[in-house]
Amino acid sequence: MTRRWFAILALICCAVTAAAPPRAAAQADPVAFINQLGVQAIQVLGPSVPAAPRVQRFRELLAGNFDLPAIGRFVLGRYWRVATPEQQQQFIGLLQEYLAQAYAGRLAQYAGEKFSALSAQPQGEETVVFSEITRNDGGKIRVEWHLVNNGGWKIVDAYVAGVSMAVTERDEFAAVIQQGGGQVQYLLDRLRQKVAG
Amino acid sequence: MLRRQPQHVLSGLVYAAALALSGAFASGASAQQPTPVAPPPRVVAPAPVVAPSPVDTGDAGDPWESTNRAIFGFNQQVDRAVLVPVANAYRTVLPSPVRDMIHDFLQNLNSPIIFANDVLQVQPGLAAETAGRAMINTTIGFGGLFDVAAKMGIPFHTNDLGITLATYGVDSGPYLMLPVLGPSNPRDLFGDVADSFGDPGNIVASDYHKLYASFARGLTSGIDERSRNIESLAEIERTSLDYYATIRSLARQRRAAQIRHQKEDVPNAAPLQGASALPAPVPAKNVAELPANGPAISYRMMSPQPAINSLADLQKSSMAPAAAPQR
Repeated sequence: MTRRWFAILALICCAVTAAAPPRAAAQADPVAFINQLGVQAIQVLGPSVPAAPRVQRFRELLAGNFDLPAIGRFVLGRYWRVATPEQQQQFIGLLQEYLAQAYAGRLAQYAGEKFSALSAQPQGEETVVFSEITRNDGGKIRVEWHLVNNGGWKIVDAYVAGVSMAVTERDEFAAVIQQGGGQVQYLLDRLRQKVAG
Repeated sequence: MLRRQPQHVLSGLVYAAALALSGAFASGASAQQPTPVAPPPRVVAPAPVVAPSPVDTGDAGDPWESTNRAIFGFNQQVDRAVLVPVANAYRTVLPSPVRDMIHDFLQNLNSPIIFANDVLQVQPGLAAETAGRAMINTTIGFGGLFDVAAKMGIPFHTNDLGITLATYGVDSGPYLMLPVLGPSNPRDLFGDVADSFGDPGNIVASDYHKLYASFARGLTSGIDERSRNIESLAEIERTSLDYYATIRSLARQRRAAQIRHQKEDVPNAAPLQGASALPAPVPAKNVAELPANGPAISYRMMSPQPAINSLADLQKSSMAPAAAPQR
């Protein structure tokens, strides 16, 4: 008799927990966050948007949704430690501008295609959101977003078909620094030259 | 029999060439690199320092970098003068549905080699997919002209002997830029050549003294692939600081992803976390002499993280630059 009551009580508890409304769903759900961002990005990249405003809007998306200091630290790799604080600051600013210009162009080929965020999975201290772009010919491209949550979701890396944005930039920047004899300043000069067009 | 041998070898090489060509990322549109800013003078250290070699290539996993860069430059010329114009003409002359048919047909022709490598890797699931796709597409898909299987939910996956060898633990060897054919390495080059010898299409063509068939197939594969990458490669070249280094990174990461046979629910190893699993990097000599400015970096990325299996591949290929330079 008591056992049955316990069972009923347990069931009621479960039902109440399940029925509780999710708190601030859009903020807390990384899949919704990425979905929203992806839809925005595809609009930003749309063919109807001319190049200059496209870069400007991409710049805003980067500033608002990416953890640029963390990306900068990773991308500079071992050279982060030898850079002066001023160089580090300059680098993060230049990186943001460089990424805005580079990826506004590189991702333009996906404009107007269908983006959908599918699921999320924790990985260490990060959360990975799986998404896919359905191309106009029906082919699918997997995009993985690596997020951290510091009072709101921020992106630290994106993998397009298994290729990491952060790793690509780190490899490229390391090559540039080596050409400059191991000097971070050389990379900063080259970046400044590049973003100035 | 003896008479046929050289032909077979040649057809194999031609096909290997085409395969590598279709390995894409090959070469880009214009050789224009921004004029580099003159490297600043090295910081004068108080203690006498051994002058580092002018081109420090020791830690990029690319010991042949200067030769590779020269070949890459040549490839860019060929790309601009021949490949891109041909690929553009291909797109202009043939309507998109026809190009898709050609693409699907060529992809279907590769099924035997993909299947063989699925089996060599003991991947029964992948092997079944490849066999199923080949059967469906060759019959319902009119000899492979239509990728019906993909629409039925069996997506294409690639496979080759280079991937098989990688799964057996064979190291890729140094990065290798092949003339015209683009990024490779000794392991993958060997794999491509061997695959082309094992390819039933090439064997049949060779047996019937129809070498031109293998040649045409390889050529068409190359044009097909290049025509699909005209804009994306041009954009990468336009926006990168060092096109060669970017292509090297992309080619390696892409290859590592192919070797992992990534499944939908397996996340890529996060480099931000993966970095902590690497041995502490030793800065280059000239860098080490600089005073350490600012506080030591301490942020969440540095805490030890459980590494997942695929991390090993990523590290081997693209994490290599972070490893200590052996100088």
